[in-house]
Amino acid sequence: MSSRIESGPDVTGNGHAGHPAGQVAMVFDLNKCMGCQTCSVACKVLWTRGEGEDHQWWMTVNTQPGLGTPKGWEQMGGGRPDGRPKPGHQPGRAEFGGGWSFNYDEVFYGGKGRSVHLQPTDTGDGTTRWGMNWDEDQGAGEYPNSYYFYLPRLCNHCTHPVCAAACPTGAMYKRAEDGAVLRDEELCQGSRFCMEACPYKKIYFNYTRGVAQHCILCFPRLEQGVAPTCARQCPGRLTFVGMLSDPEGPIHKLVHQWELALPLHPEYGTEPNIFYVPPLAPYRLHDDMSIDYETPRIPPEYLESLFGPKVHQALATLKTELERVRAGGTSEILDTLIVYRWPELFGPFTTDPAQLERTPEKVAVALRSKPAGNDHG
Amino acid sequence: MRVPEITDDPLQPADAAWRELSSQTVPLVPVPLESQPNEYIRTAWEGRPYGRVGEVQVAAARHGERLFVRLEWADAAEPNTEFPDGAGVFFPDSADDGPPVTIGSRAAPVRLWAWRDRLVVQQDLPAVRDLVASGPGVFQPVGPRPEPDPDERPGGPSEVSTGWALADGRWAVVVSGNVGAAASGRMGVVVWDGSNEERAGIGAVTPSWVPLAVA
Repeated sequence: MSSRIESGPDVTGNGHAGHPAGQVAMVFDLNKCMGCQTCSVACKVLWTRGEGEDHQWWMTVNTQPGLGTPKGWEQMGGGRPDGRPKPGHQPGRAEFGGGWSFNYDEVFYGGKGRSVHLQPTDTGDGTTRWGMNWDEDQGAGEYPNSYYFYLPRLCNHCTHPVCAAACPTGAMYKRAEDGAVLRDEELCQGSRFCMEACPYKKIYFNYTRGVAQHCILCFPRLEQGVAPTCARQCPGRLTFVGMLSDPEGPIHKLVHQWELALPLHPEYGTEPNIFYVPPLAPYRLHDDMSIDYETPRIPPEYLESLFGPKVHQALATLKTELERVRAGGTSEILDTLIVYRWPELFGPFTTDPAQLERTPEKVAVALRSKPAGNDHG
Repeated sequence: MRVPEITDDPLQPADAAWRELSSQTVPLVPVPLESQPNEYIRTAWEGRPYGRVGEVQVAAARHGERLFVRLEWADAAEPNTEFPDGAGVFFPDSADDGPPVTIGSRAAPVRLWAWRDRLVVQQDLPAVRDLVASGPGVFQPVGPRPEPDPDERPGGPSEVSTGWALADGRWAVVVSGNVGAAASGRMGVVVWDGSNEERAGIGAVTPSWVPLAVA
């Protein structure tokens, strides 16, 4: 199927397994994300409609500051912040929430349409008290200086995947071809050490099938030259896909050349391959509603807590480029971020999936990590 | 331990056949932390008590090609909503294999029949799995992932099956499979306390093999 990267003294890999032949990476420009959840829904429709996947959202967009999904994930530990694995908490069903059933029969067919409103059915396990986007648009700050921004999150397909290092059966692994962190659900025994170890808490547990599941970077699409669905369906032209090492591609330029795109929580020590252009914010307003040009509305220290100390230089670069263009100059950085031509987002993955020949063999390839919904075990 | 030939399939722990058979109390110890398969698990469980089930009562019988093993142990803890209680029996290929405390090794894997309680949210999962274990938690399924069998009846000669009951703070579990697995005349036992989040290689295991004299 695919080759694995494994090395080190442990039985099934130690998580610092070296670099793949090529690493597919993504950049999200947070200045353009409007929180529409089209990426989330595109992923949901494609990958998590099977049994035991109701509560799974491999792609989520949360409002920052916020508790996100699972609830309070940034305080759950995991990762390898000092080069050694840090014990983490395995988020449970209530912390993810969601996967609700609604009282459709009662409202639509039970004669109570005027007295009962549509609501999730309380299953008594706490899952109706949180969800994948529960604290949307709450943010922080006081009017008129309240603030928030949107943060799309998926598996980071880390260079040092602690999930794979923590898996006792070897079910989790990093693929050599493109650096995607994948799982073999035949090998997974449901121990969930991967969920504990992942500091980003982007691994779910399928309680029906007894296996861990997570974003697979749409690898069956990548193999056919198609960008991941979250990127391709994004209406905001903010999601770049490409090879991290391609010096001519926007990913390499944004991450390495201009150091404008940063990993989330770099202190977790896993070297994510999902990067973010940090958000500029409006200036604060004084009490008399005049503009305070000295103080950004999003506290820089908060952005540093998310993206590390390099965020300040990245924001300064963005401001410089904006000022240059406002003064009549040109900016390769801004031209790149604007994305005048849509396919430029996708690096080598520009194939239109609608044009693919859908032979049974190719469909089988596309489904090989996606067992049928009625497959148990 | 004597494994007599009987005339029924005593798959349920309350089946009459078990009342006629003697059981043996077997001590259990925590699977050694240093033998856990990776640094994450060793770090996460360092200083954290596990292997809390200290002993298990074991009885066994044979009916034709089927071996039945009954395990019973005390468990007064409230069940964990994420991790089920579990237990298993495992068999080495050879009587010369090392001690059972690591649940097999890469050089000497063991055959493991592992039962787990069905949580409310896991009702469709098979309650017993047929595995090859080559270390603590280093388990791989024998053959493809099985389809659910709600009745858990004994099937073909290579299939494993189970019956279980929880009463008065005691688990009683029967696991059954092909008697050929016990050809070495030795058996190990492992118990996982789900209320303590025990699973994979984190559990209680027999420090020495239980000898089996199969009729």
